[in-house]
Amino acid sequence: MRRVTQDLLIGTVFSALSVLLLRALSFNAGVAKASEAAPKKPEPAWPALAEGAPKVASYKIEAKLDTERHRIAGRETIHFVNRSSAALNELWFHLYLNAFKNDKTLFLRSPFGAGRSGDKAHEYGYVDVKKLSVLAGDGQDLWQSRDRHSPDDPNDETDLRVPLPSPLEPGQTLNLELEFEVQLPELVERTGFVGSFHFMGQWFPKLARLLPNGTFAHFAFHAQSEFYADFGDYDVSLDVPLGFRVGATGSRVRESQAKGRALLGYHAENVHDFAWTAWDRFETRSERVAGTEVTVLYPPHQLQNAEAELASVRFALPHFNALYGAYPYPTLTLVHPPEAAANAGGMEYPTLITTGGPWYSTFGGAHFIDVVTAHELGHQWFYGLLASNEHSEPFLDEGFNSYAEAEALEAQYGAGSVFGAFGLSVSSTALNRLISAARGEDERIAQGAADFATFRSLGALVYSRTAVVLTTLARVYGRERFNHALGVYTRKFRFQHPTTADFLGVMQSELDSRAVTALALAFSERATVDYLVREISNAPISAAAGVFDGPSGREQKKPETPGPAAKYASRVVVYRHGTLQLPVEIELGFEDGTKQLRHWDGSGFTFNVDNVGPSQLVSVNVDPEQRILLDDDRSNNWLSTRSSSAPRCRERALYAAQLLLGALGP
Amino acid sequence: MNDSSPTRAARLSTAAAACMLLWISRTLLGLLVSYPIVLAIQASSMTSGPEGDAVLFQPGGLLLLELLRIGGPWLASALRLVLLLALLSAILELVPLALALDLLWLPGGMLLERSARALRLFPKFLALGAIALLAQAALLLAASLLGAALKPALSSADERLRSIAPIALIGLALLGCGWFGGVLDIARARLVQRGRRECSVQSALSHALLCLKRRPFSVLIGMYPSVAGSALACLTAAWLLARQSSAAPSSTAIALGFGAHQLAVLFSIAWRVRWLGTALELSAERD
Repeated sequence: MRRVTQDLLIGTVFSALSVLLLRALSFNAGVAKASEAAPKKPEPAWPALAEGAPKVASYKIEAKLDTERHRIAGRETIHFVNRSSAALNELWFHLYLNAFKNDKTLFLRSPFGAGRSGDKAHEYGYVDVKKLSVLAGDGQDLWQSRDRHSPDDPNDETDLRVPLPSPLEPGQTLNLELEFEVQLPELVERTGFVGSFHFMGQWFPKLARLLPNGTFAHFAFHAQSEFYADFGDYDVSLDVPLGFRVGATGSRVRESQAKGRALLGYHAENVHDFAWTAWDRFETRSERVAGTEVTVLYPPHQLQNAEAELASVRFALPHFNALYGAYPYPTLTLVHPPEAAANAGGMEYPTLITTGGPWYSTFGGAHFIDVVTAHELGHQWFYGLLASNEHSEPFLDEGFNSYAEAEALEAQYGAGSVFGAFGLSVSSTALNRLISAARGEDERIAQGAADFATFRSLGALVYSRTAVVLTTLARVYGRERFNHALGVYTRKFRFQHPTTADFLGVMQSELDSRAVTALALAFSERATVDYLVREISNAPISAAAGVFDGPSGREQKKPETPGPAAKYASRVVVYRHGTLQLPVEIELGFEDGTKQLRHWDGSGFTFNVDNVGPSQLVSVNVDPEQRILLDDDRSNNWLSTRSSSAPRCRERALYAAQLLLGALGP
Repeated sequence: MNDSSPTRAARLSTAAAACMLLWISRTLLGLLVSYPIVLAIQASSMTSGPEGDAVLFQPGGLLLLELLRIGGPWLASALRLVLLLALLSAILELVPLALALDLLWLPGGMLLERSARALRLFPKFLALGAIALLAQAALLLAASLLGAALKPALSSADERLRSIAPIALIGLALLGCGWFGGVLDIARARLVQRGRRECSVQSALSHALLCLKRRPFSVLIGMYPSVAGSALACLTAAWLLARQSSAAPSSTAIALGFGAHQLAVLFSIAWRVRWLGTALELSAERD
């Protein structure tokens, strides 16, 4: 029995120590660099920040949620200003919720799964407009004269034209009144219900964006697409059963109770959408961060995730404020959906973002919570304040935001920004490169969301490759200079709808024309680059031999006897494949241990690196600092005349094999 | 360990010899098993630069992921070969295990004689190993099936319970596998103790199960320090190297890594040898 007790004691001590080590290994890796006090730098000169947007469509909505039948009864008033240069004879409405009406809609009819989540609808959802009339007008129901389906698509009702009874001249306003009813689907993508959890995104009849030339940027809701709308003010009254906790765009400005129901009023200015959620099991955590009231709504037992999200906001919000201009809204709401409604996670709306992840997301060294929080928060700039057309130029929000996310995470966690534990670190940049590297020539980055062959292709190119393009620029031109250029862009086009041309214009003024050429080629022409070396040549330099006719007559010089030469001529040819011309450094290593750095501006297809010196060239490394992240293949960037026995790999592989044998073996 | 009751010093030196024997065999077999992966990494050209394979261990993992991207197909093939070699090596390791048990049971004596005995026991050790493998596979399969069956029943339960239940079941199955491995060691000890006398695999296994019945806690808890010790050794090595990994790569760093890892392997083997001694004692108690 003594032996048993002894074994039990030893085993328990070992186990306890193992648990402590496991915690140390998985929790302390990648601890924020942010705590390191950065030297104060003078604030760069920025363009003045706009205080608000030119408002085109402002909404006043009353919505009553039936949590049993998952229906919403709504009334909506739209205050519309024709800020275009042309008279309008029609309006275009997006009824995005009709994407989930049946299996024949544009969104759902693909046999290969629908949408970003790949999920099909299980219980269908739709929005019915009961009446559309001009407020204080003759009461005519304009909805009766609408087109019955989206253009050229009789099965889709997400993009409908409504003729106006009389032209609306430039500068004129129109007040419209709508009555509508919503049947929520069981959660598809971000919208719908799961049990008593409800998430309402793109749920109300919404005007398409009016372009300056008097046309509307309208489109049927494609599974790969997101949205585009005008800025305005939103005043929304929500009627929900008592006991339901609500999170929504904007600030809560009214609150009352009547007949077992709560009436909540929300107000948001200078935004282009309104989303909300209601669930009777939400728990909340609030904190003031950088002058903004941040509220996290999270499922029971997920306080740890909520704390992690708040911690992420505590770093990222001031970080983004400094880089891209101050967040202009008084509130920010984070919604962490329950596990059963995971598809509602990872989405952005003005002043409201959804995060996500299982209850154990913060364990094990992976920064999943930080990644999703930083990404969705970044969208408050790259989508929220810079409201680009997500349908036709999705890389302007998703791609730029992926760069912003990676930049922020690496500023916070350094090399372990995605994963950091057990001595292993993976950065966002490395992950973006891995995802995008193989797909550089598959499709153009700069194309409409619906034009991508698959969502996987869109993901790799729009999100990851765009981030890699921007990171390459940041590494070539210097992070500070590039971030300043990006900061000028985000400030100059705040509360606007910038396009690729707007971005390239800023890059032209803040960087140079070579940067613009590289960006344009990378975004629009599937341009790639691969620097490579094939061989190293060395030749001893000896005194010239042969027959020489000089002033003193003919002289014959014999070749020197073989032996160590005093000097060597060395050459390596660096090749550039692909059409992107990016400047690159080339590191030469010599036999005596000395190193030299040469610069190639990237022009031409080859670059001869010549050297004459006392030592032979033994190694070459093109782009030793890994600035050209777009380089297709890094394994051909170097050569060494000394063969590598890969000692670290041998050592680690031996240890791994010993552990495997220990587990498998007798 | 036998009736002659050697001194503590003699026991320690015998145990040390057994440890070295197992460590050498595991290292040699480990070199064989790891060889295809090393070759695949070298074939990718990712280690042919001036910094050799140090680039694969840079913070951020940019070039490590590049290796996975570029060398993925080679690495996948190499991994399949590694698994095959690991299986063969696990079978081959039965010989040094028999030698180690023999050494612990009968200290002193000629290596040649001892090797001959170990080789004679190899088929029976192999049969015991096959039985264990089948039983352990059945246990793991049962646990995963039970986990899948529980899924609908837990659909309305707390999400933490839903995630933990299948993992806990697999954990319990692994624990069961470990315990079964312990019983198997007693059966192996029995085969070694019987030496030339006839002892079938079945009777050795029955003997081990009788030991389990008679001294359940000794068998169940006897292996605990060995398993926990292995985990502690691995984690300590990982912790030490995580502290050191930020330093500039150098031959010293490689030597330190090798030292830490091999100490961890030796530590695990030492506790395994301790358990083998216990198994021999438990098996001998019935005689």
